[in-house]
Amino acid sequence: MNSDEPLIALDSVSKRYGSKEIIHDISFDVKRGEIVGFLGPNGAGKTTTMKMISGFTAATSGTVKVAGFDMAQDNLEGARRLGYLPEHPPLYEVLDVTSYLKFVAKVKRIPNHKMRSEIDRVISSCQLEAVTTREIFKLSKGYRQRVGLAQALIGDPDVLLLDEPTAGLDPGQIQETREVIRSFSENHAVLLSTHILPEVTLICKRIAIINQGRVLAVDSPAALQAASEQTSNVSADVSGSIDDIKREIESIDGVNNTRAIPVSGQSQHYKIECQVEARDDIEADIAKAVTGAGNLHSLVRQQPSLENVFLKYVSESKSNSEVDK
Amino acid sequence: MNGVLAIFQKEIANYFRSPIAYFIVAVFLLGTGYFFIYNVFLSGSATMDTTLQNMGILLLTVAPAITMRLFSAEYNGRTIELLMTLPLKKWEIVIGKYLGAVFVFLVMTLTTCINLIPLILYGNPDALSIVSGYVGFVLLGMACLAIGQFFSALTENQIVAALVTWPVLLGFWFVGQFKAFQQTAFLRSLSDYLSFNGHYGDFLRGLIRSEGVVFYLSVAAIALILNTVYLQGKR
Repeated sequence: MNSDEPLIALDSVSKRYGSKEIIHDISFDVKRGEIVGFLGPNGAGKTTTMKMISGFTAATSGTVKVAGFDMAQDNLEGARRLGYLPEHPPLYEVLDVTSYLKFVAKVKRIPNHKMRSEIDRVISSCQLEAVTTREIFKLSKGYRQRVGLAQALIGDPDVLLLDEPTAGLDPGQIQETREVIRSFSENHAVLLSTHILPEVTLICKRIAIINQGRVLAVDSPAALQAASEQTSNVSADVSGSIDDIKREIESIDGVNNTRAIPVSGQSQHYKIECQVEARDDIEADIAKAVTGAGNLHSLVRQQPSLENVFLKYVSESKSNSEVDK
Repeated sequence: MNGVLAIFQKEIANYFRSPIAYFIVAVFLLGTGYFFIYNVFLSGSATMDTTLQNMGILLLTVAPAITMRLFSAEYNGRTIELLMTLPLKKWEIVIGKYLGAVFVFLVMTLTTCINLIPLILYGNPDALSIVSGYVGFVLLGMACLAIGQFFSALTENQIVAALVTWPVLLGFWFVGQFKAFQQTAFLRSLSDYLSFNGHYGDFLRGLIRSEGVVFYLSVAAIALILNTVYLQGKR
């Protein structure tokens, strides 16, 4: 394969269980040197997609390629180039940490003379030195998660699939784990699923937002924020005759979804929220409209946080699917 | 073959780092000891054939206990996801696990040889029939373990795996008894041929017949192939 070819490539992949389609026609790829965050609410299809890339489950249609190998056919070749941390760390409870890692290393064909150094390497990068001889069933959740991560790092695979790698870790461990992932990404492709937003902005180059089995957007965090700025939110505190104010605001070009929420304890006071198109003087227009019909106390145009971007995509896909029904 | 070896070692570690293997060996040794004392000291004849016959029946109960966890525990502990995504061929997983179970079974079989000590010290047993009896016992065990492993791959519940294996093994053991009820010569010889007990009887009488060896090994091979095919189709 040439070096530009993506290490993970999904091409119109669908997954169906019986008559239920869990994943609808998703396509995206991850190149060498990239960390892509796979972001979506619980049950969006993140784990199913991860399982398809890992080769654990087969796609119903479409192709999944890891390092250029079709996981439907050459999945042994793909598997050699893959490290996978599933949602539940797959640990053999009665083995001690070193024996467990040794087992994975043997299967990944680490030669005997490199075995010791390879296991030491993953133990130190996942900070497992304190528990190397302990049986896995005696470990805390944070350690279990890190043993799972260590297992995925063995053999320095080209592709790393991490399904919620920081789940169950304390803040300090989360920090360390992110460092491990970040340092790993330089020469590898990492796909990381999470529902924790700050995580993706901190370590991911690109984000794929998924909901209800569809990928809604794939782009860098900054680009996603910019794209959604085209319709940002404005909120204003006003008082006066709310019907007049609302009518005035709605008459402005580029203002949508105006809502008025009464401010509790103060009669005639309202908080107005609306979506506006990106236009420099739109705040001024709104201010003028409000003051024509009542009093304006404050007006804020919100810079969309990633959270808003995410919620926007997710809620849009929800309302679309309601239309479908 | 590296994969087979790695899986084999993991299975051995799994058996002997938890109480299962010790428990199974202890129960089997206790049962065998009881049969041995009963058969030898009460009847006064220095032979192993009745004891080996009883061991065969005991094995039908113990074999499912050895194999029930092989795949069920992997499903239940979600380690199957690791196993299926590591660079391993499905047959390597199946054979590695099988050899692990066979190893535990051989250890178990070896411990029963303690009964031979008083037999040789105080009697004059027929060595040939003891050897052929043990060969038959090992072959019988290999067939039972492969069947048990196959059923373990079908469910994530270890108890269910054992409870399904058990009647199947009993069926193979007693199928020879149905010979008398069959109308056609074909069904009579079929029920004869499929009988675990029938082939085992030959070995206990001191006959190592290729027919028996081929039979047990074929049963094991068919079960292991089904197991592999099932795993391949599971994706």
